[in-house]
Amino acid sequence: MLSIPTTCPFCACGCGFYLLANKGQLVGVAPSETHAISAGRLCARGWSAHEAALWGDRLRRPLLQHNGTLGPASWVEALDHVAGRIRNLIDTGKSVGILGSPRATNEENYLAGKLARAGFQTNNVDFCFHSLCRPLFEGFEEVSGQYSPCMRLNDIESCQTILLLEGDLAKTHPQAASSVMRALESGAHLITIGYIRTQMARLSSLHLRTTPGNEGAVLNGLVASVLHLGLEDPTSVAVHCEGYDALRRELATAKMTEEMHQAAACIARAKQTAFLMAPTSGQGDQPRKDAAALATLAAITGHLDKPGSGLLPLLARSNVQGACDMGVAPDRLPGYEPCDGGQCRHRLQELWGKELPSARGLDAETLLQSVSGVIILADDPPSVLAMGQRAMAAMAKIEFLVVLDAFVTPTVTISHVALPIASFAETDGTLTSMEGRVQGLRGTTDPPGEARPGWQVLAELCTRFQVDASYGSASDVRREIAQAAPRYARTEQPESGDGWGGTWVGDSDKRKFRLSATRVAALTSAECPHVLAREGTYDWGRDPLVSFSPTLSRDYQSQRKLFLNGLVEICKQDADRLGLRAGWLVRLTSVHGDAVVPVRVRMDLEPGVILVPYAFRDHVASVLGTDSIAAVKVEQT
Amino acid sequence: MNDVFLPDIACLEKVRDETPDTKTFTLRFRDRQDGNHFHFLPGQFLELSVFGYGEAPFCIASSPTRCGVLETTVRRTGQLTDQLHRLGNGDEVGIRGPFGNGFDVEAARGKDLLFVAGGIGLPPLRSLIWNVLDEREHFGKVTVLYGARTPADLVYKDELKEWGERSDMEVLVTVDSAGPGWTGNVGVVAVLFKKIMPHPDSTLAYVCGPPIMIRAVVQDLLTRGFQEEKVISTLERMMQCGIGKCNHCAIGHRYVCRDGPVFNYREIAELVE
Amino acid sequence: MVFTIEKQGIARWLEKLLETSALIAPVRGPCGDVVFSTIRSPDQVLWNFGNPLHPPKQFVLPQTDPIVAIKRNGQRHEVEPIHDDAPRILFNLRNCDAKGITFLTQMHAMEPADASYLRRSNSITVISLACNTPCPQGFCVCTDSGPFLSSGYDIQLTDLGEKYLAEVGSEKGEAAISGVVNLFRTATGSEVAQRKTLEVKARSHFGEETCHFASAMRRISTGRVQDALWDKMSDWCLECGACTLACPTCYCFSVKDLRRDGGWIRCRLWDSCQYGAFTLEASGHNPREQRKERMKRRFFHKASAQYYMRDGMVGCVGCGRCVKVCLGTTDMPAVVGAIRKGKWHE
Repeated sequence: MLSIPTTCPFCACGCGFYLLANKGQLVGVAPSETHAISAGRLCARGWSAHEAALWGDRLRRPLLQHNGTLGPASWVEALDHVAGRIRNLIDTGKSVGILGSPRATNEENYLAGKLARAGFQTNNVDFCFHSLCRPLFEGFEEVSGQYSPCMRLNDIESCQTILLLEGDLAKTHPQAASSVMRALESGAHLITIGYIRTQMARLSSLHLRTTPGNEGAVLNGLVASVLHLGLEDPTSVAVHCEGYDALRRELATAKMTEEMHQAAACIARAKQTAFLMAPTSGQGDQPRKDAAALATLAAITGHLDKPGSGLLPLLARSNVQGACDMGVAPDRLPGYEPCDGGQCRHRLQELWGKELPSARGLDAETLLQSVSGVIILADDPPSVLAMGQRAMAAMAKIEFLVVLDAFVTPTVTISHVALPIASFAETDGTLTSMEGRVQGLRGTTDPPGEARPGWQVLAELCTRFQVDASYGSASDVRREIAQAAPRYARTEQPESGDGWGGTWVGDSDKRKFRLSATRVAALTSAECPHVLAREGTYDWGRDPLVSFSPTLSRDYQSQRKLFLNGLVEICKQDADRLGLRAGWLVRLTSVHGDAVVPVRVRMDLEPGVILVPYAFRDHVASVLGTDSIAAVKVEQT
Repeated sequence: MNDVFLPDIACLEKVRDETPDTKTFTLRFRDRQDGNHFHFLPGQFLELSVFGYGEAPFCIASSPTRCGVLETTVRRTGQLTDQLHRLGNGDEVGIRGPFGNGFDVEAARGKDLLFVAGGIGLPPLRSLIWNVLDEREHFGKVTVLYGARTPADLVYKDELKEWGERSDMEVLVTVDSAGPGWTGNVGVVAVLFKKIMPHPDSTLAYVCGPPIMIRAVVQDLLTRGFQEEKVISTLERMMQCGIGKCNHCAIGHRYVCRDGPVFNYREIAELVE
Repeated sequence: MVFTIEKQGIARWLEKLLETSALIAPVRGPCGDVVFSTIRSPDQVLWNFGNPLHPPKQFVLPQTDPIVAIKRNGQRHEVEPIHDDAPRILFNLRNCDAKGITFLTQMHAMEPADASYLRRSNSITVISLACNTPCPQGFCVCTDSGPFLSSGYDIQLTDLGEKYLAEVGSEKGEAAISGVVNLFRTATGSEVAQRKTLEVKARSHFGEETCHFASAMRRISTGRVQDALWDKMSDWCLECGACTLACPTCYCFSVKDLRRDGGWIRCRLWDSCQYGAFTLEASGHNPREQRKERMKRRFFHKASAQYYMRDGMVGCVGCGRCVKVCLGTTDMPAVVGAIRKGKWHE
């Protein structure tokens, strides 16, 4: 029986465990007491991590489309075909692009970016989930100069105060929720901000209620309370912050409540405070401004960049951080440095031996709707992008669609070429967790059929485009990454003694914190008094690691089966007021359009809020438009 | 010691459409032609494997008095039943069983029997009804009350007609909403109660159907003076192994697959969740 | 029968066992964790260790357990049970784990007996070492599963200093020493007395407050635990299922067919009553919709008089794993304590 230590591929907490295999086949998962994050504990997903690779519908051999159907081909045939078609598109002046993935390794994402920039000479590089997490990074970066977090997951346990903004932590990041619970048992205070009374909200000392898109009011109120009560950290403000006076002026009329005062005191007076944030809803740049406001709150209370305190972005998927760090973005290079940044471009040009394009590329949504050729790495755009099924329609129009994946996803079925790659259980590589910990995946079983490690396939494509890619192993790629993104070279000592070998992404240079308030949005009106909000940022039910796991997929499958016509959720008070019962149909109307969907009643929702679970967003696409929230009129039909 | 997860192979011998989403399958064991090894009681269930789609529990709808005949009536609700509905004559499935406690046929001898069913609740009772009809002289009055949402949703349409024409039983059928050409009763099953006068002391009542219907009917029976032990039903739970080991169907320390699925109302009241 | 073996003799004994069996023992793995693993040589055995988090039930019930091979040939299918009766020896287990395996065997031997499980368990011999110094997280005294067992073992070893006492409790135990009888000699009266003294000393390590099990059992069995208490406690549970997966006596499972060339392999998979979908019916109805109901279920199965009467044993061996693996804060001792006090976190 083999027992191989590896990193969890699900959320971005970065747990570790042993994958168990017998006679070349996965059997199960065993926990590790020595792993710094897991410490012997895993969530339900972690305990069933082996299932998808074992039970899933696997891609076993390269597939080429002939006359509308996919048929098996040899690797050489498939790779030559891909290179030939893409070369042809480029030569005839058509646009091409590559989508990386938050469930692919750093090595795979890095090579995807290298292939696009050095090989195809384009910055049309992005990953589908990016638009949902970008606001967090940009907001934090705006204030602190660092887009990636300065807080360690393990420090949450020793915080005296924890501020949690949105996010159903118990479901999205159970290991983080575990740390919060342990902190609470040691006497810490949890302050939650949200429009759902989640499990965490029930455990909180203080729950600040908001409506979607209006988190800004609470954030401004908290910052204003700190200022009003004189709770700012004088050293931090004097030495590290810029824009203090402007902030005071801007927030002079901010609305404050007694609860906000209490919360502000709790946050400011704690020796260590954790600020956990999931992306907020909101139109336009509201989410980014909200993230900046949270970072501002941390900065003025002296908790930004203080050991044991800080910000932590709650990223849904295991390698969101890594994908960003590898430059899988239309305007960023490895290290998440700007595309037109002289020093970074110069370094990469030296390293890759090629001139690099400087014009900003297309983001994922635009890319899928406008390029002629695209390579998609380990992702299924319709299940990840907010535009949902519309992405499927867009992809159907792409002249040449190539997918690299371990699993047969809907995108695979409409591709022109499908290249089978190894799953997380069968390949080596690294993932970067939401706290910036870089950890290794170690292959436990062989990839099925003719599937190959993803980095190998991308390296082969690089070679076909005259881009140097002579790597003997995933470690070779990792070594190059350290040169391409110095943040990945400047690592601290690996965690002592545990043999797991995790390392930290290096800190960037210190600079002053640029304080910033957020906007308070007035969304609803007399005509449209409710807010329809898309709940969550990730549809786990459609993620292959869940949908192909017999144990994990049950709840999601049942929900999808029961609500074939979609679903929105409403609180009991609103249901009673509108005379609605479970299963009845409602018409939702916004400035964008309308839709008719069945309704379900929830006890834990704020009045005035209509929620559509991320999995059912397609049914209300006409109502939401391109935003995650919209003011709506609700009528019984 | 048995290989309790090893199914017998059976072939579909006949497939009959009951309603737009329900079919009755007649099964014949492939390797044991006579099927004599499969002794079951009415009310028991089998675990049916649709190879490649898994296994699911279905009640046996035929009576043990008819040798070699094994029938089950299945509504299409998910992937497995969807695939089962796509199979035809000669296609193979797997069978494990019979499981469960079944109805106590002995205890019903000499009594008047009242069968109350709603929708897909009739199949488990059909096994007992035919058992009783095949040994008619051992039982008292036989009354069947059956209701479905619409006329199309009635299962065993031909048999209902056949039963209705028999002089040794009373059959009342109703639908929630009538369609064109429907001349029978309209309304929920409970309204049929007004047309009968079951004697609480000499009658056993068997009730199967949607939870709401069962609740209403049982309430009615209890107010008419029925003792809880004389009101019998079948409990539904997620079941997998059928032998009380996987624990999916456990209610307290009772297992629906072993101590049930047939329970009387006294037993149901005592079940600790 | 009671014997002793010199500590130097252990290596010879293990080498002899290795000739005819796979030998599984606690070893230190590559990342420092103690794990149960197949060993090739006696010096791999770890003697001083904290009990591995992953329980040895994996050797009688693997997390993915192939039980039936289904082959398809056109329209025709053939089925065959998958046999796993390779001889295995689980060496240097703790008594809580030995008792756990006894419990699981009893569950699967209960009518109708599960041949697939029994084929495997009948070929497994368990050699356990009693705990002279109990572990800090254990509470085996509450569940009659340690630190010393009085019955239900193949061989129970006791560390007497320079030698081990070996109590042989079954035919399988006898068979395990039959090849090296020269290494074992009959234990003397004083050696047996020493073992008894060690047991008394070990038991004395457990404090007064350890054992609220009985009182919790009474309340659980008579439905006297307030719904509000379950409600409160369940908010501290993160539904990871680890308590059941790491528990030596839990055995809930699901059955699923794994597609393989030419057919399928029917597998038994570890499942957990703590998962929402465990009781989810095809209709969408879920009798245990809420987490508190699932939590209540778990503790009823583990610690009710009703199950105790049915099984003759309580569904817990006091190994303390649930304390270590619980992602939330709702392990057995915490919940049992709360039930006894009638309050949580106050």
